[in-house]
Amino acid sequence: MIDETIDKSLNWVDDRLGTAKSGKTFLDKIFPDHWSFMLGEIALYSFVVLLATGVFLTLYYVPSSHDVIYNGSYIPLRGQHVSEAYSSSVALSFDVKSGLLMRQAHHWAADIFLGAMAVHMGRIVLTGAFRKPRELNFLIGVTMLMLGIVNGFLGYSLPDDLVSGTGIRIAYSIIESVPLVGSYLAFWLFGGNFPGDGSIIPRFFIIHVLIVPLIILGLLGAHLGLLVKQKHTQFKGPHRTEKNVVGTPMFPTFMAKTTGFLFMSTAVTFLLAGFAQINPFWQFGPYHPYQISYAVQPDWYMGWLDGALRIMPSWEWVGYGHTWPLEVFLPAVLFPGIIFNIFYAWPFLEARITKNRDYHNLLDSPRDRPKHTGAVVAMMALMLMVFLASSTDVLANFFNVPLQDTLWFFRFAVPIVPVIAGWLAYKICEELRHEDGAGKRKRASVVLRTEAGEYESIPSEPRPGDDHHELEPIEIPAFIDLVGADLATGEGVRRVLR
Amino acid sequence: MRSLKKSAFLAPLALVGSVVVVGLFVFGPTSAQAASNTSVTASTRPAPTTTSPNLFTSGSTSTTRPSGYTVPTPRSTTSTTIPGVTTLGGSQPYVAPTGTPGLAYLNLPAAFLKPGQALFAANCATCHGNQAEGSSRAPNLQGLGSGTVDFWVSTGRMPLENDAVQATRKPPKFNQLQTLQMAAWVQSLTPGVGTQIPVVNTSKANLSNGQQYFTLNCAACHTITGAGDALANGAYAPTLHLAKPYQVVEAIRSGPGNMPRFGSGNITNAQARDIAAYVVGVLQHPANPGGYALGGVGPVGEGFVGLLIGVGTLMLICFWIGDRT
Repeated sequence: MIDETIDKSLNWVDDRLGTAKSGKTFLDKIFPDHWSFMLGEIALYSFVVLLATGVFLTLYYVPSSHDVIYNGSYIPLRGQHVSEAYSSSVALSFDVKSGLLMRQAHHWAADIFLGAMAVHMGRIVLTGAFRKPRELNFLIGVTMLMLGIVNGFLGYSLPDDLVSGTGIRIAYSIIESVPLVGSYLAFWLFGGNFPGDGSIIPRFFIIHVLIVPLIILGLLGAHLGLLVKQKHTQFKGPHRTEKNVVGTPMFPTFMAKTTGFLFMSTAVTFLLAGFAQINPFWQFGPYHPYQISYAVQPDWYMGWLDGALRIMPSWEWVGYGHTWPLEVFLPAVLFPGIIFNIFYAWPFLEARITKNRDYHNLLDSPRDRPKHTGAVVAMMALMLMVFLASSTDVLANFFNVPLQDTLWFFRFAVPIVPVIAGWLAYKICEELRHEDGAGKRKRASVVLRTEAGEYESIPSEPRPGDDHHELEPIEIPAFIDLVGADLATGEGVRRVLR
Repeated sequence: MRSLKKSAFLAPLALVGSVVVVGLFVFGPTSAQAASNTSVTASTRPAPTTTSPNLFTSGSTSTTRPSGYTVPTPRSTTSTTIPGVTTLGGSQPYVAPTGTPGLAYLNLPAAFLKPGQALFAANCATCHGNQAEGSSRAPNLQGLGSGTVDFWVSTGRMPLENDAVQATRKPPKFNQLQTLQMAAWVQSLTPGVGTQIPVVNTSKANLSNGQQYFTLNCAACHTITGAGDALANGAYAPTLHLAKPYQVVEAIRSGPGNMPRFGSGNITNAQARDIAAYVVGVLQHPANPGGYALGGVGPVGEGFVGLLIGVGTLMLICFWIGDRT
């Protein structure tokens, strides 16, 4: 009875929307079981958390630079002239039920979102999943990473506290450093010389909550759409070929797994939000352009940009009636431009250098392509070194060495360490590639002595757990039957089976 | 089938996770109560606030405060009595009754001069000279006042450990009485000149003013949280988390080491008192209603936790529910 009702209603929908065909594609979508294929889902689910908590925050946050007097519950700020943005940020933290939890969840989710994207990208690049036919999806992913960094910075700036205001000041100078158009750009964006006419906070707000999230959402749809259309890559293994995908279908197994993972991601984010304090801007006070705090760092994903700025020598060139601030333009505009262009060009560079333009649905273990892995590791080491350079003052304080010593250390480490790391990775991969059974569990050897006195060793019988057992892959069970319909009557053109 | 079993494991965990989330949302307290007095208006400036160990105003509608929102009572927000001093002289008045409310200066007795000179001769004169006139190794102390001596000795920076690096804070070699005796003697060389030893009554301070003047004058080196940090050429701005109120005012007035000296034209006595109250009452006991403060070092610690614990835990979960070969 209930089955019939469900059948009927599903058919009703299908007759009008034709959902059975796409539903079949979706439900039968095969997901490889390897754990590293779920890294992208961390990013996906933290983005969901970001959207949900972000909507909550917009209900209380006031995007305005209008000057008000703080009169809320935090005593050390009472009576001070602050912007409405700052006042509402403090108020939503202290005077709104679960407001602080939501704000901290939003911030932690942003940190996790970008971290997960970076880890996901590392997996994609190291295993060669970006190769033909998936270059386009790689480009979409890199774009989302870039937009995520931009939006993280904008969101960090919105509370208008002393620390984030300093960040906006730096952003202003970076825009201003672009040759020829810089000052016009900065004046246009800020509505005048810094701090502008008060329009920067509302502008950042609308970019942060509407424009960039909308673009990311669109790209996310394309990212996942292409994933379904092009199907997953998979590691080499028994029964796995370039023409199939071995794994679990969306329905029922993967659906349960991924839904559980959604809850787990949310839980981890909210547990962090409940127990670990992030960005306590009430301790920083409001931003005034004539004030500054020492030892200000940006959020972690901006660290590599901050680090590049820090270690740059103060090169400035005066010519053609202008000052060319190379010490800002080179590390803060040109360097990230080059880095992201390398990211974008990576699939095409790889194809050109290896002269391999075949379809690749089977992944490589990083050790099987030592040169490529070496290049990836060198790139990662470069990013890591520039990232660490953003903590020169913290390191100087911790190791009790002069600040300029840590600065000079990173000036040398940034070019040198990637070369060493890349070469080491290349050598390790070469070794592993020729090592028989590397990465597999060691098996005991039995040493035998022949009658002639000769010794030989033979591997012992495998013990339980030594070998990886997999079930035989079977064809996808049909939950939705598209054939055998009576075309003459038009009845049951698509039939839903369960 | 393996995967199916694992996802069965997930169900209860996911349930627990979502219950925690919903629970925090529903039963979570507002971070400060102030239920009636939360609106932000530009029309009225609030009445001057008084220093309170609690950094949040009490709401009128509710009498209980959720735990986690109270700030520990500062160890000594007031120091009208310096330990070891009042017990010594009996009824002798050490504190001059005049001055800015909340900031007075110690009136050191003449009885301190003789033991002070002896202590100075035994411990300081080798470098600073018998009459504190200085030498090629150490500066002239005449005219610097008792407050300067009290700051350097009571923070343990003097006697100096290593004259090649910036003097570091360490446990003081002399007790309160000995310090004051030496300070009194150095002061007596140039009566009425130099920085005096302040007595700070932070109970009259305005924390909000303290926050503003601290941000304006101190945060550029000591950082906005007062944690201190490395500066160029091996110098550093020390942490303020150990400073006592009178030491804060002494440092402001005398400008030890690389620190600029702020006279009363820059920072008035009342402002110096407010800064000291903010340092001791807020920076040393910050309100951390958001949970564990992660060392209070800002995005460095937060990024570490976000990546290692946040992304790391989720990767472990991936590793757990996914296939590993």
